[in-house]
Amino acid sequence: MASPAALPPLPFNPSRVRSYLLRLPLFTRLAVLVIIVFWLLELQTVWSVVQWGSLIPDEMGLSSMYRLNTYPLIHTGFFHTFINLLAVTPLLERFEAEHGTLTAIALFTGPLSTFPAGIYLLIEKFVLHSNTAVVGASVWAFLLLGSESIRTFKSNPYFILGKYKIPTWTSPLFACVLVWILVANTSFLGHLCSVLIGYLLGLGYLKVFVPPEKILRWIEGKLNLLGRLPHYVSVDQKTYGRYGVLPTAGAPAGERGTPMSFLGDDQMAAAIRKLRNNPHFLFVRLPYILSLLFIIAGVVWLFLLPLDEYSRKNYISENALLPGQVHAYFSGSEQHIFRGYKSELEGLLGTDSGEEVQRPKSEERTPVISDKIQSILKATGLKVATQNYEYTSSGITHQGENIYAIIQAPRGDATEAIVLVAAWETVDGELNLNGVTLALTLARYFKRWSLWSKDIIFVFPPDSKSGTQAWIDAYHDMQRASVQPLPLKSGALQGGLVIEYPLNHRFQNIHIVYDGVNGQLPNLDLFNTAVSIAGGQMGIGTRLQEMWEHDGSYEKRLQTMLRGMVKQGFGYATGAHSSFMPYHIDAITLQTQGIGWQDEMALGRTVEGLTRSLNNLLEHLHQSFFFYLLMQTHRFVSIGTYLPSAMLIAGNFTIMAIALWLRTGYSTNPFSDTAPGQGEKPDGMSQTASKDAGNISTTQNPSNKVIERQLALPLTLVIGLHLAGLIPLHIFNNTSHANYTSATYASVVVNTLLPLLLAGVLSQYRTTIQQIHLIKSVSLLLLGLFLSALATLNFSLSFMIGLLCAPLSFVNRITADTTPILRYALSIAGLFFLNILSPPVVLLAGCAYFGVSIETVLTEAAFGWDVWGMWTQVIIWCVWWPAWIVGAALVGVSLF
Amino acid sequence: MTTFFLLVLVFFSLSAGSLASNYHENLHLQPLPPSSLLASFNFKSNTTRASFDRQHFQYFPRALGQILQHANTQELHLRFTTGRWDSESWGSRPWDGAKEGGTGVELWAWIDAADDEAAFSKWITLTQSLSGLFCASLNFIDSTKTTRPVTSFEPAGDHLPSENLHLLHGALPGEVVCTENLTPFLKLLPCKGKAGVASLLDGHKLFDASWQSMSIDVRPVCAESECLMQIDQTVDIVLDIDRSKRQRDNPIPRPVSPDKLVCDTSKSYHARDTCYPREQKAEKGWSITELFGRSISGPCPLVDGQGANEETVCLHVPQEREAHPIPDSVETKVTGDFTRCFTLPSSTPFDLTVPEQDIDTKVPLEEPVLHAERSIVGHGQERGGMRIIFDNPSPNKAVDFIYFESLPWFLRPYIHTLQATITGRDGIRRQAPTSEIIKETFYRPGIDRERGTQLELGLSVPPASRVTLNYDFEKAILRYTEYPPDANRGFNVAPAVIKVASPQAGRPIYLRTTSLLLPLPTPDFSMPYNVIILTSTVIALAFGSIFNLLVRRFVTAEEASALRAQTLKGRLAGRIVALRDRIRGKGSKVE
Repeated sequence: MASPAALPPLPFNPSRVRSYLLRLPLFTRLAVLVIIVFWLLELQTVWSVVQWGSLIPDEMGLSSMYRLNTYPLIHTGFFHTFINLLAVTPLLERFEAEHGTLTAIALFTGPLSTFPAGIYLLIEKFVLHSNTAVVGASVWAFLLLGSESIRTFKSNPYFILGKYKIPTWTSPLFACVLVWILVANTSFLGHLCSVLIGYLLGLGYLKVFVPPEKILRWIEGKLNLLGRLPHYVSVDQKTYGRYGVLPTAGAPAGERGTPMSFLGDDQMAAAIRKLRNNPHFLFVRLPYILSLLFIIAGVVWLFLLPLDEYSRKNYISENALLPGQVHAYFSGSEQHIFRGYKSELEGLLGTDSGEEVQRPKSEERTPVISDKIQSILKATGLKVATQNYEYTSSGITHQGENIYAIIQAPRGDATEAIVLVAAWETVDGELNLNGVTLALTLARYFKRWSLWSKDIIFVFPPDSKSGTQAWIDAYHDMQRASVQPLPLKSGALQGGLVIEYPLNHRFQNIHIVYDGVNGQLPNLDLFNTAVSIAGGQMGIGTRLQEMWEHDGSYEKRLQTMLRGMVKQGFGYATGAHSSFMPYHIDAITLQTQGIGWQDEMALGRTVEGLTRSLNNLLEHLHQSFFFYLLMQTHRFVSIGTYLPSAMLIAGNFTIMAIALWLRTGYSTNPFSDTAPGQGEKPDGMSQTASKDAGNISTTQNPSNKVIERQLALPLTLVIGLHLAGLIPLHIFNNTSHANYTSATYASVVVNTLLPLLLAGVLSQYRTTIQQIHLIKSVSLLLLGLFLSALATLNFSLSFMIGLLCAPLSFVNRITADTTPILRYALSIAGLFFLNILSPPVVLLAGCAYFGVSIETVLTEAAFGWDVWGMWTQVIIWCVWWPAWIVGAALVGVSLF
Repeated sequence: MTTFFLLVLVFFSLSAGSLASNYHENLHLQPLPPSSLLASFNFKSNTTRASFDRQHFQYFPRALGQILQHANTQELHLRFTTGRWDSESWGSRPWDGAKEGGTGVELWAWIDAADDEAAFSKWITLTQSLSGLFCASLNFIDSTKTTRPVTSFEPAGDHLPSENLHLLHGALPGEVVCTENLTPFLKLLPCKGKAGVASLLDGHKLFDASWQSMSIDVRPVCAESECLMQIDQTVDIVLDIDRSKRQRDNPIPRPVSPDKLVCDTSKSYHARDTCYPREQKAEKGWSITELFGRSISGPCPLVDGQGANEETVCLHVPQEREAHPIPDSVETKVTGDFTRCFTLPSSTPFDLTVPEQDIDTKVPLEEPVLHAERSIVGHGQERGGMRIIFDNPSPNKAVDFIYFESLPWFLRPYIHTLQATITGRDGIRRQAPTSEIIKETFYRPGIDRERGTQLELGLSVPPASRVTLNYDFEKAILRYTEYPPDANRGFNVAPAVIKVASPQAGRPIYLRTTSLLLPLPTPDFSMPYNVIILTSTVIALAFGSIFNLLVRRFVTAEEASALRAQTLKGRLAGRIVALRDRIRGKGSKVE
């Protein structure tokens, strides 16, 4: 991998934090040290420090007076210690710097610990009669805040918030209340006592406890404290205040003068310093490591999801649904009618009741059957209408006639409606005779009920792919010219159910299909209601994602989830319900599966129960999740848990892009920099060499020069490639279906040649290393942006594309320094590897793996683009493909 | 049907001519296809203007009368409606739509006031009082829901030219009409629903109807110099005969037992367990007791003529149809008409039984003059479209009508996008210039949170064609306190009112579209949303104050000025001050 021309300076100065810590005065250091020591002591189990030293009102006696002083130094756990240290250290440092070490010791070991403790004990024991132990340095923090606030009050008496004036001295009280509310197990009273003492301190009433300056000076002079103790703040220093001039005369040499001398002791500091002098690691190596880590973390994250700790149990969030709370009456003589309708339809279809002889095509079926269905529905008293539609995609014409009927809610006013769909053909192309008959019988049955608050619309489309799409488009008046508008309408659709019962025997389970177009999902409540009604009320098992056997093990869960992700990622319509999702109408398909003892009446009762639940809805389904991954009928992962996975993978591209961007903005100027080993450092110098160089020159950074980034070429190239993605997009969606196979092979060839052509052109024009880096940076930046945005909409697609693009972060131009043979070998191997991961090759491999022909897949995809409004192709050709071409071209450049 | 209602109207206007306090009631029953029954109750009381003004109420309800006097209301129309009239099956509307409102509650009144503001304050008084009287949320009719229609409504009463009348109109499409509105409605009647036809009005049956409308109209009727205050209360319901005949204790429509199924035995596959249901041709049999769960408990004794000769219950069926009233009742048939009427015997409860009968003659249904349908199209959170379809069934006559729409302020229509399309019977769509369809327009744009949009269009639909009006609108984003508790249900848009100028009778025909549900962009009101808002605020406050305390350096004023003097800005400022002082000093010297 190429080393950059030069490296930018670190974006932060780590020595600043360090120097603050190193300049902490003596008493503060001691206090911090003691607090840490006590915390460490608490880790053992033999002697409970907290029990020993905390301020327990009932334990107080003459012999345990030490508790009045020890309690601020003792903490209950790591976070308690850490947060209190974080709060108290700056305050204490400030106090000490202003008042001197001796005063600080005198006050903090004396009155400033014991007074709050005393007040607290009085109130707790004699007023409240309770026995709450307190412990921790927060008492000092609040005390100091209290005194600081009094000082603030003197100079700046009010906060003005609108027309209200809030005295500034109240701010510690607010903080006190907030801490009490936000942090569990804090003693409000204890904090209040310390704030009170803080006020007294701030107002000067505690001056009597401050040792007289004369005595302090005397002690200081006698013991030569300034000379002996490091970081001691003398009585004289304090008069200058925090930022006053520090007397240097008394400071021992080697202690205060050169803080660098500490470096040898501190490994951490050394590492930081090394990094500062040699950013090669930070800018060249670290991004690769981070990117790789991100990808690994993303994948591992995904595989953790099926565990119990990461997935959640399903629950019904919308209380109005009340699944399974009503008795379903669809049984008894309704079955006679079902058989009657079925025989009638069978007679017209020309099939006998056992097995179908020759299924007529939907076009032939339409006129006879359509009239029959309309007459049945009309006789039942429903409003019936039809809609003709025609779609053309890949040279194939899909046409048909939707029949639909509306049960008008008896006292409703056509504001809301529920849809029941029974397509003549299931999504697998089977004849859905039982489903259609069941819908007809249900229509007759539902008509008798007066409890419907919403209209119920029964739709009978000829197939599961185009019919509902035409209907729902026309319902919202968004249909194209070849689709007829609907003559009859109702209100806003609240939910949809699709019934599929193509079997000629009794079934065992209900298979719930829920994926929508472009990976949109229905509200989880609808799915849960279906599971709950079918399983809980009717005793019918439910399955999802064609997982017929599911024992709840990790493997099965993972398999279910991955199947769901593949469907979501491809974004095609998995059933007649899918077309509803883009209009924010939640819909699912109920498919029958297996050989069992459940009959059509059981399915009918399930549909009845579901319709009753939807009928209960007061508001559109909104309570539960819209983004989830299901791994079992009773377990799911919500977006908050799974999203980081795809985001990490998308983030790896962004990190690499940013690192490359930072690298391209600088160049070393060999003429101005005379430091040995730095200026002459050539590109691609080994890591060890630069480390040595860093160790040698302790005083100087490489004098990097900021240079202008030449953006015209990279931007033009990357944007041009993204626009060029429209060409294959157009070709693959608009040619005839017969040409798809040849078009795919042609695109494989083009994909092999195009990067080489680009590489040739790029090297022809003497593209600089900076431009090469910028091309990669811009391309990866766009890829990261697109994928992270996509992850929120279609997680699975973003994850899949992200994984397939992952090598693009790591491929780069092989530097010209490498020996030509190795270089050619590497780049040809790289190109070969990348070509395996090119979009058309992945498509071919996928088709071979699943055993479907490319023509079928691409015809389906083009149909999705034309009819369903599927966006998967756009992502492939306008996001994945350009990024891939750029990656391959960069590898190709090394050939020239 | 219209002719019948006209007859009733004429009859009442004749009886009103006598100009005396009186009370009439009437029940009109008409079977509607396929298996429904329209029951139309009408109650009419009069009182002279003089006694009304002296607060001497006899038949006129005192509660309402005092409200009207207090609110200076000269004419009042109040409607409670549920469901939709299925004009495809049931033909034209009862009373030509004059006695019905849009879904929910609709109120319009003519108020005598000096100016618009006074009228509005009286209107608020009126809605508040009526709200209490009728247990309805009429008090929610505020300025955003009040409109002042220009041409859609005309006063029905005879008003003095000296009065300065203001028409105000308000609608609550989301209001659910139920028993609590029926009880005060019945209390207004002289017999309080205890006797007479009103005794049939039971909440259980009334609110199980497919469509139901209650109306109250108060208007002054004048002849020569004398005036009457007339209150006209109607209840129109369409009962589903099958549903209403179910017993009260077993209301669940369970599947019938297999032997009671009516099957088409001619089918080849007909078997004991296979049944293709046969369509029933015969007219369904019913009786008043079966449908309403009770019989009419004698006439209201306050009715003029003591109810003995009053033909109170009328049935609108073909002459061949059998109808058996109880023996004491007197039946009157009008020859050549489909109407027959019965008197209520004063001693025994009245019942009427109409048995199941297979007859060919049907009462001809009157075709409505216009079909109208309105729906929201498009999808998404930001924009939408309104589509209104008018269908003129008449083969040779154009229909002229006024279309009145009041839209809530959060629906902002783009009137410039208003487009009209004409579709002939041949199905060919044609874009028409709006001026060809729209004869006149009255448009009052809405103001956010103050008033809604009011749109009145004078339209003309050519014969045998269907006109589609389209316009786009934008959905406003509400403040988060403005959302109702059920924000995700959507927001109701009041039904549009269509007034068709009827050429023969002079009285206009009214139609109303269904109300609409408008989904607005809604924030996620769930617990995390609230938690995020609250914690962010708290953290911001806490962080701000503590950070301020920690990093701010406190110095005295003198120190501060000394410090400032060190900076470049301070030095520059000092120079400028010095320069200014010097110039001023020079100036004063010159003087």
